[in-house]
Amino acid sequence: MSEQQTTRTPPRCAATTRSGQHCRNRALPGQPYCRVHSEQAAAAPPPKEDAPAPAAEESVSAEESKEAGAVPAEAGHAEPPPEEHPIEHPTEEPAPLMVVPGALPDSHGAADDVRALAQRVATTANQESTSTGLTGEMAASLLRLVADNLDRMAPPQAQEAVARLNRAQVHMLDYLRPEFWFEVLTVLDYQLTEQVRFVRRRLEGDYATDPYGMDPEMVEMIRPFFHFLYHSWWRVEAEGLEHVPAEGRGMLVANHSGVLPWDGAMIATAVFEQHPVRQGRVVRNLILDWFNSVPFLAPLLTSLGQVGGVPENGQHLLEEDELVCTFPEGARGVSKLFRNRYRLQRFGRGGFVQIALRTGAPLVPVAVVGAEEIYPLLGNVEPLARLFGVPFFPITPAFPWLGPLGAVPLPTRWSITFCPPISTAEYGPEAADDPLTVFMLSEQVRGVLQETIDARLAQRTSIF
Amino acid sequence: VTTILLSRSTGALARLVAQALSQRADVRLVGTDEATPDAGLFAAHYAPPPDGHALAEVLRAEQVDVVLHVELAGEESPPPPDEQRLQQNVLERMRLLGACAAAGVRRVVLRSSTLVYGAGARNPAFLDEARALVCPPQRGLLRDYVDAELFAADFARTHPDMAVVVLRCAPLVGGGVGSPLVRYLAQPAPLMLAGFNPRVQVVHPADVAEACALAVLGTASGVFNLAAEHPLPLAQAIRLSGRQPVPVPAPLLKTAARLGLSALPGMWELPRAFLRYSCVADTRRARRELGWVPRHSARVCLSAQATDGRIAGVAQVGGARHQEKRLVDEVE
Repeated sequence: MSEQQTTRTPPRCAATTRSGQHCRNRALPGQPYCRVHSEQAAAAPPPKEDAPAPAAEESVSAEESKEAGAVPAEAGHAEPPPEEHPIEHPTEEPAPLMVVPGALPDSHGAADDVRALAQRVATTANQESTSTGLTGEMAASLLRLVADNLDRMAPPQAQEAVARLNRAQVHMLDYLRPEFWFEVLTVLDYQLTEQVRFVRRRLEGDYATDPYGMDPEMVEMIRPFFHFLYHSWWRVEAEGLEHVPAEGRGMLVANHSGVLPWDGAMIATAVFEQHPVRQGRVVRNLILDWFNSVPFLAPLLTSLGQVGGVPENGQHLLEEDELVCTFPEGARGVSKLFRNRYRLQRFGRGGFVQIALRTGAPLVPVAVVGAEEIYPLLGNVEPLARLFGVPFFPITPAFPWLGPLGAVPLPTRWSITFCPPISTAEYGPEAADDPLTVFMLSEQVRGVLQETIDARLAQRTSIF
Repeated sequence: VTTILLSRSTGALARLVAQALSQRADVRLVGTDEATPDAGLFAAHYAPPPDGHALAEVLRAEQVDVVLHVELAGEESPPPPDEQRLQQNVLERMRLLGACAAAGVRRVVLRSSTLVYGAGARNPAFLDEARALVCPPQRGLLRDYVDAELFAADFARTHPDMAVVVLRCAPLVGGGVGSPLVRYLAQPAPLMLAGFNPRVQVVHPADVAEACALAVLGTASGVFNLAAEHPLPLAQAIRLSGRQPVPVPAPLLKTAARLGLSALPGMWELPRAFLRYSCVADTRRARRELGWVPRHSARVCLSAQATDGRIAGVAQVGGARHQEKRLVDEVE
């Protein structure tokens, strides 16, 4: 059975293209490479071995490539000569998988690679007879399961799974060989064990939290949701991200709007994903301390790195060279009515400027446009707010009439503009106790913000 | 040679402090307590003097330079009845300070707790020593702490020639020393408030003993927060100490407390606010001015509790019951 099939469809070329993908051409008869890559392989000098391969197999691979008269392709991605009877040659060298050798595979890329591999297995299987084709489809679905698991795993564990796939002793398209099933099932078993271990680790309390209670595993878990909100739901356009300091302390000062603090989450996502110099920087939002008394929300916000909005916290964070985001309007900003949208409220008593002056942190005004319309606030029922102990009780077209559904924000189009930083270092820390300097800086930030918001509003053609 | 008087010298923490001090050169240790201490630790040992004047005489006779008081009723074992606890925690300290002033002692070191800051929604993530203390409304260990601290602060103001050092310790965990937190963690299923996971701090008794030695022999005075590196979420702390937290809705716990079910398994002895809000102290001052560096991280303390707790925790709970019964008998 296998003899016929292998002769009918020659295997694909074993080389890896420059973009790190598999070459999709068919191999020349009697050679591991396609026309293009066999020429390149002949021209290239024998490459260094930097793909992780056990020493014993290296010698085998060297012998076999001599036999085949071909030099291994770049980075040791050599492929045995196409076999007429693959099962009769058990000493095949390890086959290449998908990730660019040497580079640390990032787990999402690897998952896509495995998915591509599954797709190839499936297409190959489609060209086969019924029984082989069925086997191939099963193999493809198993590979898809591996890929889905890779998406869910934490980066270090995902890398280990990819490394195991890469070390596999069999070519990943040879699904007719028992070794293929053995390898794939081993990797699946590893993934399952890791998932069980993850749950057990959480249950034993063996996870890291920072001194403010941020839990990086929790942040990783929620990140895809924010990614979706940022790119698909609100289609945020971020501008001027170069004004956000890549290193050291800094204070973002933003206008607050939209009933629930989604604007803080989106500013943090913009800096985390799109900063031109350094992605992955966490923005610490100083949130309304009232959130500390909301069951279930309080521990969630803490584990996501949000910190109660008292001046001591801001100062402590800035002294540790963190990036802090404040909303000086506070609850006045989120609870303002729809007819007052994009009119900045009073900036508290300038506490944020005092912290910035004491720590010499630059102030970066951040103008958010689009968040005002996500929940058009028609009214604020103060007696109900007092009854429930909340800062304000919102009435929107959807809330409270639609219940929890009313909490789904409208998919408006957002823009977030980071303005040039305003330096505070030259005033010195003692200026924090001078109300005139504090109010001057506070008004300066407020002016820049209102100006930027007005400019962006004038450019905007539609709220959606 | 510095002569140090350690009152209530046979408590678990006092013993650690005595050991830490006895390793230093030019230190002469004097102790007072009902029980007899370990041999070789103290140069002289007295039964507790009946009143402040007798204590002042002992201080003068031994030419004591520094007085150290670390033991509090309700820390090592569950709190005794109100009156007795108040006598030991507040009045005894007031007498002690008075005797020190009368005998011309130049330095007094007292232990307090970081819980005096209280737990609240508006607490900053790290509370520093300058924060004003508010007397809690309910009577109990916490109120004793605040009462004693307010008195000590007042006393320090009126006696500028005497250095008063207050060491506010996070709940002790580890080293076989008891504390309300250790008793809470030693229960099979500690109760938490559903929907809340405050950050908690702990400190290892050996590190506290080290800080006491630094405070006794150093020149710094005032209030210092002591806590191990790295506060942890309460649920994580419980898990690290080998237990699984049981979340209970807040109203249910409130009703249980109203019905007087304070002996409910899994209960926390101190105000329930500590299960809702964080109370985490800033330890930078102790590091800067005392030169104190904690050797045990919170994780180490709690993991040790996991192994300790299974063996010692049961014994401790049993022992505590026994002691409680003894105290009740005494009062009756």
